[in-house]
Amino acid sequence: MHQFCNLKHVKILIVEDEQGLRENMLTYLSEDNNICESCADLATAIIKLAAYQYDFVLLDIGLPDGEGFEILHYLKNEMRNEAVIIISARNSLDDRIKGLNIGADDYLVKPFHLAELKARIVAVFRRKAANSNNNLVFNEIVINLIGRTVFINDVEILLTRKEYDMLLYFIANKGKVIAKTALAEHLWGDEMDMHDNFDFIYSHIKNLRKKILDVTTNDYLKSVYGIGYKFTDK
Amino acid sequence: MKLAAHYNKVNIIVTLSVLVIGAVIYFFAINAITDNRLDEELGEEVSEVITYIQQHKQLPKQFDIDENQVEFIKTNLLNSKPRYFDTTYVNPRKSGDKSGRAFEGGISFKGDNYRFRIIISSESTVYLKQIITAITLILMLVVLTILSLANRYLLNDLWKPFFGLLAHMKAFNVSESSTFKLTNNKVDEFNDLDNAIGVMSSRVKSDFQNLKHFTENASHEMLTPLAVITSKLDTLIQDETLKKEHFDQIQDIYAAAGKLSRLNQSLLLLVKIENNLIADNDTLNLQQLINDKLRQFQELLTSKEIQIYAELGDKKVIVSKYLVDILLNNLLSNAIRHNQVKGNINIYLTEDRLVIQNSGSAVPLDGEAIFDRFQKGSTSDGAGLGLTIVKNICNVCGWNMQYLFINNLHTFSIVF
Repeated sequence: MHQFCNLKHVKILIVEDEQGLRENMLTYLSEDNNICESCADLATAIIKLAAYQYDFVLLDIGLPDGEGFEILHYLKNEMRNEAVIIISARNSLDDRIKGLNIGADDYLVKPFHLAELKARIVAVFRRKAANSNNNLVFNEIVINLIGRTVFINDVEILLTRKEYDMLLYFIANKGKVIAKTALAEHLWGDEMDMHDNFDFIYSHIKNLRKKILDVTTNDYLKSVYGIGYKFTDK
Repeated sequence: MKLAAHYNKVNIIVTLSVLVIGAVIYFFAINAITDNRLDEELGEEVSEVITYIQQHKQLPKQFDIDENQVEFIKTNLLNSKPRYFDTTYVNPRKSGDKSGRAFEGGISFKGDNYRFRIIISSESTVYLKQIITAITLILMLVVLTILSLANRYLLNDLWKPFFGLLAHMKAFNVSESSTFKLTNNKVDEFNDLDNAIGVMSSRVKSDFQNLKHFTENASHEMLTPLAVITSKLDTLIQDETLKKEHFDQIQDIYAAAGKLSRLNQSLLLLVKIENNLIADNDTLNLQQLINDKLRQFQELLTSKEIQIYAELGDKKVIVSKYLVDILLNNLLSNAIRHNQVKGNINIYLTEDRLVIQNSGSAVPLDGEAIFDRFQKGSTSDGAGLGLTIVKNICNVCGWNMQYLFINNLHTFSIVF
């Protein structure tokens, strides 16, 4: 069941008409033996969905030949169980509610960071797999998703809410450089305008790293030239 | 001056002058006619007297015929000029002076010159004139009364659609979606006015709608390119061959893209607020909301060592939680961002107002301009829409927003 937590060997269909964005999503997600396919319009998406089973559909609402909601209707009518994350430029509550009502699992508003997208995908997978496995394992780190507790080498470390969220975010994007802005947006959201003040992130990172290093010798958290951080075991 | 006053002024001046001029002309005309008639009568008397003299070869005695008086005075003057004139005379049968019409002329009789005068009563014509004057005066009063009544009707009833229209235009709100209702008048001019205003208001509204749609569409269209920029950057930083300088550049692009996307969100939010698209009203406990917000901002407050003094009464409002959340966010983040290190923030919440004060720059802000779009302090790195959004939210909620500079504290108060 680890593949749900760490996103391995999953098939993702990306439906997005903006080529630049589509390609980057494809590259970012095509790791850990994940299979990503993409298409730019509604018609192709339906053809692909009719032919293959996917685990995940990333769906843009504003497509050249119609609204992405149609795909949601299609999946619902066909009783398919692909998870769907809507990616939309429209940040309206109505669209959000409509999408979630028809069966989308999450709603992400453009512009977004790829790290955020991946974290959302992982979170949706975890939710879907919640009944079968509640533990997320990364080497010696074991996270109990229900109890929100973290064990390293069977020693529980106490994390604040922000540190815990940050750890999950890092593990979802392990091996990737995560920009500070992406991290700030994830932790504080856009409601609290941090105005690119990253001192807070720095202190949270420092605390998290210290807590991990207290119980293990592996320093997973690396700073990357002031741009961001990377959580990696390599 | 009001329309009614103007109307009455002109009306009364014109009516009165026409009536007065008419009355004067009338008076003189009647005078002339009656005098003429009396003079004719006098002429007959004169010819009777002359006939009498010729027949009887003697002057008539002082006698009265039909109350007429005739008198002869011996005079040396030859043929004094005959003339008619108004006079008064004493009627021996009646007491007091009576008004009369007299003829005076000269006559020669048996070698003597006489001046004779015949007076006939003009009582009846005076009476006639009095009656006519009285009738004219009464008529004037009646006309004036009728005119003022008619004016009142004209203004109150005939102009009613005009005042209705005026009230309508005063209440006109460009962002309201309600359409202009045409009132059906019996007056063509008002119908024209009605139609013209209807056309104008719908054009203004559609222009305004287009402008808003443009803002909305432009903002939306910008989001996808922004998403491309962000995803490209996210991909770019995975490149391990990049150097520190490159990352510095990328960091700046991230910051700019972030700012652009926040700006976009603010613009879209403004459009939504102005369109009244957010109407999920709830009963909210402001005291609790502010406390939650302060907890949320705790990190920022601690980092700047800002002292909070909060005096929060119990206040419930029925508005959109989403909007109040943004309102408090903007006000508090402003109060923190424009504060100095070790500064302070005072928050007062009472039944009728919410006041947020913060220390900071010693120069008061321009209380009018700060709520305008894209107005921001020189040191601010925000988009300059925060307070505009606050003001608009207040408008939607029916609150009043004020800025004052009191005791070196920037004071923002919302009057519920």
